[in-house]
Amino acid sequence: MRSLPRALRLAAIAAGVAALLLGVSLAQDIMLDPRVFEIGNELRCPTCVAESVGESNASIAREMRQIIQEQLDEGRTRAEILAFFQDRYGDWILLSPPRRGVLLLVWLLPVAAVLVAGGGLVMLVRRWRAAAEEGVAPVAAEDLARVRAALSGADTEPSASDEAAPHAPAPRP
Amino acid sequence: MKRVAVVVAIVGGLTALFLFGLLRGAPDRNVPSNLLNRQVPNFDLPVYERYLAAFGPRLDLADHAGRPLVINFWASWCGPCYTEAPHLEAAQRRYGDEVLFIGIQTQERDARAAGRAFIERFDFTFPNVIDDDSRVSIAYGLFGVPETFFVRADGTLAYKHVGPVDTAVLTERVEALLP
Repeated sequence: MRSLPRALRLAAIAAGVAALLLGVSLAQDIMLDPRVFEIGNELRCPTCVAESVGESNASIAREMRQIIQEQLDEGRTRAEILAFFQDRYGDWILLSPPRRGVLLLVWLLPVAAVLVAGGGLVMLVRRWRAAAEEGVAPVAAEDLARVRAALSGADTEPSASDEAAPHAPAPRP
Repeated sequence: MKRVAVVVAIVGGLTALFLFGLLRGAPDRNVPSNLLNRQVPNFDLPVYERYLAAFGPRLDLADHAGRPLVINFWASWCGPCYTEAPHLEAAQRRYGDEVLFIGIQTQERDARAAGRAFIERFDFTFPNVIDDDSRVSIAYGLFGVPETFFVRADGTLAYKHVGPVDTAVLTERVEALLP
């Protein structure tokens, strides 16, 4: 029974320390210029998967936000700050790849895909409309006569030729 | 029949794309360093107590200009760093007279005790320094730990290895740095 309060005390201390650390971390971010996050959102967090420097809570991302803040304080522009990180990490660090060289394909391929798909759709719609406008093909007079004969024959008693037909009912025993 | 073939081709292509995305694993971090064949950034960092006698309280890279370097970034929480550590120490003992090995503890703040334990565990005889705010790792364009930079005597980067190094990689890359 005596160990329970002690365990609770330890848990409370641990929770307090965790809250303090979280508070310090949040306070650091609150003190940052909103432009830090705008620029950070254009940079890929080096140690995270699919997170920006603006969003990540990794220690390296927090330090990169601090560097951005310092550079803004020194009067550097957004382009200069992005270039600073690009110089160290290469194009990889930019979440929007630059529009040049092979990376231009990243921008052009989706546009090309939309154009090809749109073109295909237009062609398909045209074909459907042309088929609809053509209407029903005229029926040959001979075929029409056979259908009429068959229809009129269905209302009458089966003929001898009908009895010989394979689908005629079997005679009663 | 032709229409069926088109549908099969489209569905097959999309399925192949889906499976590729599903099975390709984690994104490849082995991105070539942007510092390749360029001067590596200088740093001036505090040294672990064990190396005070030989290097003083801080290690300034500029003081070691003209020597080939092997700069290894590590952290005490990093599993692969434990795998590569014995290989690094073995390479230091073999090439330490010609090449300066430097360990940089990074991406963990105020973790002196853990850093000290890591160094003692592998009995590192090469200097290890502390990059508390990860500024040096950012200057070197580090994606994670461990990463090892092989620097020529003229201060330009010859090669960066992502992930744990082994004796074969160290031998090949260090030999290439020697005259």
